[in-house]
Amino acid sequence: MCGIIGCVGREDETLDVLVHGLSKLEYRGYDSAGVALTGGRLDVCKQSGEIADLKRALEAREVAGAAGIGHTRWSTHGPPTDANAHPHLDCTGDVAVVHNGIIENYQELRDRLVSAGHGFKSDTDTEVVPHLIEDALADGADPETAVREAVEQLEGSYAIAAVVAGEDAVYAARNDSPLVLGIGDDAVYLASDVPAFRDFTDRVVYLADEEFATLRAGDYRVSDADGDPVEKTVETVDWDPEETGKSGYDHYMLKEIHEQPRALRQCLRGRVDEMAATVDIEDLGDLSPTGVQFVACGTSYHAALYGAQLFRDAGIPAQTFLASEYATAVPPIGDALVVGVTQSGETADTLSALREARRRGARTLAVTNTVGSTVARECDHALYIRAGPEIGVAASKTFATQLAALNLLTLGTTRVDGARSTIAALRDLPGNVQSVLDNSNAASVAETYVDSDAYFFIGRGNQFPVALEGALKMKEISYKHAEGFAAGELKHGPLALVTEDTPVFAVVTGDDEMATKTVGNVKEVEARNAPVVAVTDGQSDVERYADHVLEIPETHPRAAAVLANVQLQLVSYHVANALDRSIDKPRNLAKSVTVE
Amino acid sequence: MSIDTAVVLAAGEGTRLRPLTHNRPKPMLPAANRPILEYVFDALLAAEVERIVVVVGYERDRVQDYFGPTYGGVDLNYVVQHKQLGSGHALLQARNAVDGPTLVVNGDRVIDASIVRDVATEFEDSGAPTMAVLERPETAQYGAVVLHEGDVAELVEKPDTDEYRLINAGVYAFEPTVFDAIEDTPRQEGELALTETLTRLMSSDRVRGVRTEGMWVDATYPWDLLAVADEVLARGHVADSVRGDAGYGERHQGSRGDRVWVDQDATVHESAVLQGPVVVGPDCEVGPGAIVGPNAALGQNVTVGANVTVRRSVLDADARVEDGSTLIDTLTGQDVRIGAGTVVPGGPADVRVGREVFEDQRLGAVLADRVVAEGAASFAPGTLVGPRAHIGTAVRASGTVDEGAEVVR
Repeated sequence: MCGIIGCVGREDETLDVLVHGLSKLEYRGYDSAGVALTGGRLDVCKQSGEIADLKRALEAREVAGAAGIGHTRWSTHGPPTDANAHPHLDCTGDVAVVHNGIIENYQELRDRLVSAGHGFKSDTDTEVVPHLIEDALADGADPETAVREAVEQLEGSYAIAAVVAGEDAVYAARNDSPLVLGIGDDAVYLASDVPAFRDFTDRVVYLADEEFATLRAGDYRVSDADGDPVEKTVETVDWDPEETGKSGYDHYMLKEIHEQPRALRQCLRGRVDEMAATVDIEDLGDLSPTGVQFVACGTSYHAALYGAQLFRDAGIPAQTFLASEYATAVPPIGDALVVGVTQSGETADTLSALREARRRGARTLAVTNTVGSTVARECDHALYIRAGPEIGVAASKTFATQLAALNLLTLGTTRVDGARSTIAALRDLPGNVQSVLDNSNAASVAETYVDSDAYFFIGRGNQFPVALEGALKMKEISYKHAEGFAAGELKHGPLALVTEDTPVFAVVTGDDEMATKTVGNVKEVEARNAPVVAVTDGQSDVERYADHVLEIPETHPRAAAVLANVQLQLVSYHVANALDRSIDKPRNLAKSVTVE
Repeated sequence: MSIDTAVVLAAGEGTRLRPLTHNRPKPMLPAANRPILEYVFDALLAAEVERIVVVVGYERDRVQDYFGPTYGGVDLNYVVQHKQLGSGHALLQARNAVDGPTLVVNGDRVIDASIVRDVATEFEDSGAPTMAVLERPETAQYGAVVLHEGDVAELVEKPDTDEYRLINAGVYAFEPTVFDAIEDTPRQEGELALTETLTRLMSSDRVRGVRTEGMWVDATYPWDLLAVADEVLARGHVADSVRGDAGYGERHQGSRGDRVWVDQDATVHESAVLQGPVVVGPDCEVGPGAIVGPNAALGQNVTVGANVTVRRSVLDADARVEDGSTLIDTLTGQDVRIGAGTVVPGGPADVRVGREVFEDQRLGAVLADRVVAEGAASFAPGTLVGPRAHIGTAVRASGTVDEGAEVVR
């Protein structure tokens, strides 16, 4: 998981463009970073640490060139050191390469190159690439051919960008890792993700797998694996470039938690009609699944668990799988629609699960936030959650909008009773989330329990995925131990972990049999002297057994899941903030994980 | 225009507009279907301002959440005034965010771009601190101004005589030296009013006053927001400068009269009647047989049920009005629920706020954020209902209902 940027045609501004792009890509990884520019010979500067460390290192140096590449890294091969930072060079120092992905045959290539006399400076798989290019150049190939010949030898996933001394050009290749070109008036850009160059252009070209590109000032050429030219469509992206500022908040995550009403409005806009009790989603065609299999990872997996419940409520068999498990042990699919849920649309595990499903003839659908992402292009259908860019590594507004979008998906592809009341509840969601944000006492609850040993979260039905997500958020940003359980499972083991120093967050909404049973589980916890924090709409009597209450407005049980989750997001945020954690960039984590 | 930065003061609550300001500052209250502050930003954009510094304070999340980091391609740089200690103190918070001449604009009044342009032009000509001045029949609520050959000769806050006819419009232009001038101004009871600094500048140097015209509407009390909506609708200022008229869809077949604006993402039943001037915001649903307008503004995601009448009213975001209700001269906050068959027959009324009585105001009712009225309730003219109050079935509400109160028959 790394981020790549490249640029040709900005003359003296090349370095500024690269560094700006890297700062926009920092969410993809941030344990080291570097740049290489084509001056007379190559100017390279790389540094372990965040982009800010690279900027400091650059201040002490003169780095210039009309073409350049940059990289921000999240370690997969070798620890985060200056030597392991990209770009990597060949023996002559005339070839520099940045890479995102994993080169599976790198050991074999490296052994061969070492025995041929090449010297390696890092532990990375990437470093084989510049040396392969060096060999091809030595054999007399022109730079473009040399890069192509090197790439042909690679197996695995990669997005690669290379520069060669004396050539004002950037060479790029893609296989299974994202890469997109930005087309300016004179300049051409390249990056792992659009925000890296969105401040300079809104015209983009998405590279497909096994495509190769050569970028020069005012010109770019894309060719396929055989070297034949490929005619690419230039698309226009409509993200506001500055939508990625913090707008007065200390952290992106808090900003994004507060953006949830707006994100939900965008998600629902033009898609629901309460009067007619209909849902209208573009690009779903005549989908009417008789079975559904969800594949997803992390927060998206929790959203998918919730989505499967919605389909089962509509009488359609539905299951949710961890994408990494699914890809290597594919279950019988039958006629099921396979739905991949991924915020970035580039999650490698989810992409491989979907590819396995497609190989078996399944119809696939992507639920994603990213227009033009790999998942959106590879699946038969795409449903966009329209949350807007999310920068905080811990997902917040994208979970809320995933839940809303999955409701739209169920309503739009099944016949369910009570569609109008669900649509009404969805339309009430933005206002209800605002109400939680206006009135939440999560900060004081967090303050009370900031020193606790561990945090447990329980819920049933629609609230079970919320319990899991509440725990994941706490782990991710506070680094504290946290677990989510189905409320009924507590007594089958986890109860042994419960002590007076382990607060239990119980999500209890409504006043039906499910709520009554969860209240029973709360009593079990209370009897072990654990502090209880109830997240409730006040309909059941759970407050009688709770030490603290996080209140949510009374609404439809499906919408209640979104509201309860907002309270838990705020608790995690305030715990992490009190512990002074790196909330937007938790240690060891990256926003979208494009390696398996 | 060479002056490309503006500081917008948006930190104050606007206490006289309670209970509507329970969750948000005055600049975020609705002028027809959009927050007042959005009109201020629109005016600045139209005057080609390229950078906006927003001073936020009271319930600042609401400003930041609504606008985010940019508006119409212009960067919004938020600075925080932690304690609301006057307009001068508010402006001082922007000191580090401003490095050249700047416009300064109050964020809580709807203004026209022409006012901003006039101030900028005068400032560029004279180089002196400049203030926009408007002619108004009533000056008692504002800073009254006397001009002498274009210089401000007198500045009297809330005068108790009626001899004045010009007021300070709250739109200024300054050199960065204004920050030193504010710091040198002695605090009055701990507060720093920008007008105090201006008065000092008038005696030491000069302050230009530029006579200007154009829309300038202010709300002092909650019911004033109905008049603000009237004015905005009359002038047709419903489209924001970012989306423009493109945000409005085709004319609804049940439209009557001019000035009917329906957002393209709103749904209006074919049998509903929209009587202009009226604006229906995005995500709204208007049911069969409903009659909305004249002088009605529906904020985003408002639901109007079957056979509902809404006349001279402002319904803010997420309001839900169920079948058969009648709302006249009504102002709602956000996320208000009004059950079937509720009646607000409309003003005039004598409205009591604290110890003051405002006679003969045209006001049906003010329902603050998240008020729930069960079905068949009725509201006597001039009723003020606090946030989250719950009005039971068939209650006849009147006078003032406190925040969170439970009213049963």
